[in-house]
Amino acid sequence: MTGFLLRRLLLAVPTLLGVTVVVFATVALVPGDPLTALLGPGAPPEARHELSERLGLDEPLPLRYLGWLGGVAGGDLGVSISAQRPVAELLGSALGQTLLLAGAAFLLVLAGGVLLGALGALRPNGPLGRLCDALGTLAVSAPQYSVALLLIAVFAVNLRWLPAGGTHDVFGGGGAGDLLRHLVLPAVAAALVPLGLTAKVFRAALSTVLAGELADSLRARGLSRFAVLRHCVHNASPALLTIGGLQLAYLLEGVVFVETLFAWPGVGRLLYDALTARDLPLVQGGVLVVAVAFVGINLLVDAAHAAIDPRVRS
Amino acid sequence: MTLTTKPTKPAGPAGPVEPGPVEPGPVEPGAVRRAPRDVLLLLSAGAAALLVLLALGAPLVAPYDPAAGSLEDRLLDPGAPGHLLGTDGQGRDVLSRLLWAGRASLVGGLVPVLVAVTAGTLLGIAAGLGGRVTEQVLLRTLDVLYAFPGVLLAIAVATLLRPGLGATVLALSVVLTPAVARVAFTELRRIRTAEYLEAARVSGAGGLDLAVRQVVPVVAPVVLVYAASLVGLSVVYAAGLSFLGLGVAPPTAEWGAMLDELRPSLFTHPWVAVQPALVILLVSVVFNTLGERLRRRIGDSGAHLPEAGR
Repeated sequence: MTGFLLRRLLLAVPTLLGVTVVVFATVALVPGDPLTALLGPGAPPEARHELSERLGLDEPLPLRYLGWLGGVAGGDLGVSISAQRPVAELLGSALGQTLLLAGAAFLLVLAGGVLLGALGALRPNGPLGRLCDALGTLAVSAPQYSVALLLIAVFAVNLRWLPAGGTHDVFGGGGAGDLLRHLVLPAVAAALVPLGLTAKVFRAALSTVLAGELADSLRARGLSRFAVLRHCVHNASPALLTIGGLQLAYLLEGVVFVETLFAWPGVGRLLYDALTARDLPLVQGGVLVVAVAFVGINLLVDAAHAAIDPRVRS
Repeated sequence: MTLTTKPTKPAGPAGPVEPGPVEPGPVEPGAVRRAPRDVLLLLSAGAAALLVLLALGAPLVAPYDPAAGSLEDRLLDPGAPGHLLGTDGQGRDVLSRLLWAGRASLVGGLVPVLVAVTAGTLLGIAAGLGGRVTEQVLLRTLDVLYAFPGVLLAIAVATLLRPGLGATVLALSVVLTPAVARVAFTELRRIRTAEYLEAARVSGAGGLDLAVRQVVPVVAPVVLVYAASLVGLSVVYAAGLSFLGLGVAPPTAEWGAMLDELRPSLFTHPWVAVQPALVILLVSVVFNTLGERLRRRIGDSGAHLPEAGR
């Protein structure tokens, strides 16, 4: 187990380095003057000179990359042009909000994915199973921004049941109940695509187990339908873990659209604002943080997979 | 919405995650014709063809000039006389703009997939036939690109370029190519030690000859079916990039850009504002259904394919 984890960790190192190269390139290769790109057009000459020194712009690219990487490793992601504050600070305060939204969406993904997938596997040819399959396909095809706009139009503008954005009411807001009300629509919008995928994968895994020898032998021993199902779900759960973990990672990128449309103050919203303002240090920092989280979650999923299923360790 | 299920490594004897049969056979010639009629496949193929035709025929079908607005007719709700789907904040006919937008949006959806199919197949075959070092270098590089969530990789690439359709196409090609290359490589690895390849080698076939005559015919059907399931995703990504201001720029009509343009009207005229969102959803459903039905058509040999772009 330890050996497997170490191997997996070692494999992640080149991936992470590759990620930093791509992120570094987004600023290093940007057309035009990098100082203007980083500081904005109206920056005073002293600031330009200081940044040029600090970034070592006269030095060759590989050296600049190493210098930048050293800064990143120490938590220095540069200074945001539009906010004039350290990027790390901005991202740090936004990350909590994003994790809250992604976490809420993840609960919906698991609950909905297992339900749709299990019903689809149990009734592959019945109307209920077909309905679940169709819902799964619909969910997979529903882009976050489309769902977000539709939810706002129906539930916030038309029915006025739920708020259209933000994390709490401006007047008389606050408290867990208020937060929860604000969380519902963005969480649903973020969850649909991963929910559909989870349902598909879980359905396939469970169908395979239900059609296999394990299920046959359990049935032959006279176990009740429910008991057979319980054992089979247990057997199909590694697939659920793998796909579920991946979906948690993908939730992190879907939030760019969801947070923007629901004015949710997380990393995705920050990234959108940074893109509109062409605030390159902030774009760079945002992409880096999400990509590293993505690699990290994949690593955790592999570790958890190995922990519950010894077969993958070899 | 992103490249989700990584194409999982082919399940070895110990691989438990792979749903479906572990050792799918090659596609039998004629298998497609023998299968029973699939209504959903026909419907989705027809709808996809109709969408492409509507976009191509926009100049003939659209009732108004998509760029011409009228100040008196601003923000009419759907069903207004003369404007079936209403008008936008500049008084432009939404139906006409949606039809014209189909051109840029479908180019943004289809061209990256075509590029990815070509580049990905070449890379996959190169990794499969090129020896250990080539294989490792190519696979590790693809792994890095794969480590990025798709939208973020597209954003990273598109920020390097001037906003426009070209940026969308290039960014999405970069995002989709690794996925196709993985599928091509996995497919090739299944036949790498096959006797007929050995026979071809022994009879003096060079690498190129081997690739073109023996490998492409086996790999191509699976890659094409996988690619079909990427089109919906690509359309969604392309519109997303325009929505973020990285793709097609106004005043050119494009579904994602329209989404952004109509956003300020969401609270006053919600039914006008949601129309581009509905169109993108519809197009995504059509292409995803088409892709999924095609996968079922090739039966067992499609069972190991990763879920469309996830």
